Amino acid sequence: MTQLRIAIVDDHSIFRSGLRAELDAALEVVGEAATVDEAIVLVEATRPRVVLLDVHLPGGHGGGGAEVIQRSAGASPETRFLALSVSDAADDVVRVIRAGARGYITKSSSGAEVSEAARRVAEGDAVFSPRLAGFVLDAFGAAAGETAATHDELDRLSQREQEVMRLIARGYSYREVAGELFISVKTVETHVSSVLRKLQLSNRHELTAWALERKLL
Amino acid sequence: METTATIVRPRLRVVGGVCAGVAGHLGAPVAVVRTIAVLLALCGGAGVLLYAWLWATTPVTDAPVDPRMRASLTTPAAGAAAASGSAVDSSRTEHLRRAPVTEILLGLALIGAGGALVVNSLGVEVPLAVVIPAIVVLAGVALAWRQFADLRAGTAASAPTLVVRSLGALVLVATGILLFFVTGETPNVWTVVVAAVSVLLGVGLVALPWVVRLTRDLGEERAARERANERAEIAAHLHDSVLQTLALIQQKAGPRSEAARLARAQERELRDWLFDTAPADDRDLASELRRLADVIEHDHPVRFELVTVGASVPAPESLLAAGREAMLNAARHAGGDVSIFVEVGPERIDLIVTDRGPGMSLDAIPADRLGVRESIIGRLARAGGSAVIGPGRGGSGTEVRLSLPVAVVTAAERGTDHP
Repeated sequence: MTQLRIAIVDDHSIFRSGLRAELDAALEVVGEAATVDEAIVLVEATRPRVVLLDVHLPGGHGGGGAEVIQRSAGASPETRFLALSVSDAADDVVRVIRAGARGYITKSSSGAEVSEAARRVAEGDAVFSPRLAGFVLDAFGAAAGETAATHDELDRLSQREQEVMRLIARGYSYREVAGELFISVKTVETHVSSVLRKLQLSNRHELTAWALERKLL
Repeated sequence: METTATIVRPRLRVVGGVCAGVAGHLGAPVAVVRTIAVLLALCGGAGVLLYAWLWATTPVTDAPVDPRMRASLTTPAAGAAAASGSAVDSSRTEHLRRAPVTEILLGLALIGAGGALVVNSLGVEVPLAVVIPAIVVLAGVALAWRQFADLRAGTAASAPTLVVRSLGALVLVATGILLFFVTGETPNVWTVVVAAVSVLLGVGLVALPWVVRLTRDLGEERAARERANERAEIAAHLHDSVLQTLALIQQKAGPRSEAARLARAQERELRDWLFDTAPADDRDLASELRRLADVIEHDHPVRFELVTVGASVPAPESLLAAGREAMLNAARHAGGDVSIFVEVGPERIDLIVTDRGPGMSLDAIPADRLGVRESIIGRLARAGGSAVIGPGRGGSGTEVRLSLPVAVVTAAERGTDHP
């Protein structure tokens, strides 16, 4: 089995070493970085498959994790980013997601959870924490009863996507969501990826308002 | 008697608080200091000058008014008023703290003017050449002080306006001093020189205390800014080091452990202290649930993942009580990670508590045990909602689904608003 090459970017050495020790054996840590600039150099030099990226990072132009994603995109297009944060504040998370991160988990997640999420991201899927799923339901107006009419609509979620997001918000794993909705895990992954795409591309004002506030547009 | 490092004048005072301040600094009885001050004042006014100088240059204490001192200084009637309410109390302190310099000076000027007119009409020869300039000077000083006070407090009109007004008042002072000499005998070189020096001295004397105070205010402001910066730095450092370590402890220890529970409690306390995250709307359902979760997390090895979706609504009593019971059950019988999902829809509010514990079946619970049946299902049914208890995700654990129509909530709200 080939090892999954990952990099850890976080400005706290305690957290980096702690996380490194917790990750399972199938993950090979190719490097660590503590600032935006170090991270960009590291990604360019080692081209890891997945970068575990802290949302708040010193250095660079002050853009934190989002800046790393934007400035690394050219040098290493096949690298995927998984955001880690202690804050769990929606605007922090949305900032990195809209910059291109494939998912988000909290720092109190266990080593096994982080490893699983990294694998999922490496396979091209998206990773949503319950909090992020709840936020998505809010931002796309699902709670108010808004549902997408067509498949390619970007500003609203389809009925199925809403069901998946609700279950993820309740702490269900993808497998449990699949069992609950009588669909395959692959289909669940497709739905989550589709929601991620909408989250990154939608022009819904709840999302663009943040982007404008954070000078991302 | 405890002495103070520098002379500070108390807020509650007889005249300017100088004697009390000096007494506090030297550790001498106030009565002795006052007596010496009065004796010095009799020595050609030296004491008065010293008093004025100290009054202008010493700061007022930050310490609150000592109630015993207030009792000794206020008359019985004022004491009763002070005791009757804190609003009266603070306004009184404020009144005592700021000596009405302007009013006193303007009063003196007016009395002088009035007295001169009366005496003049009685046929007595009044030295108008002296009285008129004196009145002008007094009025000028009074007006200058008022502007300075406003300038310092940063209140009222814009700063440029105040500066212009202050300068105007100072010009008035200067004019008054000049009048002493102009109206006198025919001017010669010496009167001009003396007049110029007098004007400079006069204006300087009026402006000096204000300048001294302004510099002191600036120093205090700088110190306050430094303190705020320091605090922000400490907060940033704590955020970077301690919060991260606490997160790591939770990650390593697993949600069911005692270590994780302690780390979580500490993290929450530290966060509250660092970011002052007091919820703005106390009766909001989400913040009420968060508070409940915090309390339960403190006592049980459990971690609640609270996700709320939809509009912010005031917490309905029945839903909150039933939710609390469900959370407590999950904490007691399952522990570990427990998910709470709240969705406020257009028609109903859903609250779903899911745990990964051993599971619970209603049939297995003896009928005489009121816990779940009464406190969750019965309570919500009486409120017009519904509760379903069943197996959790993937058939393991327990899931409690509470549901309450929004119509019921708004009706109840209206009921409490207009009883």
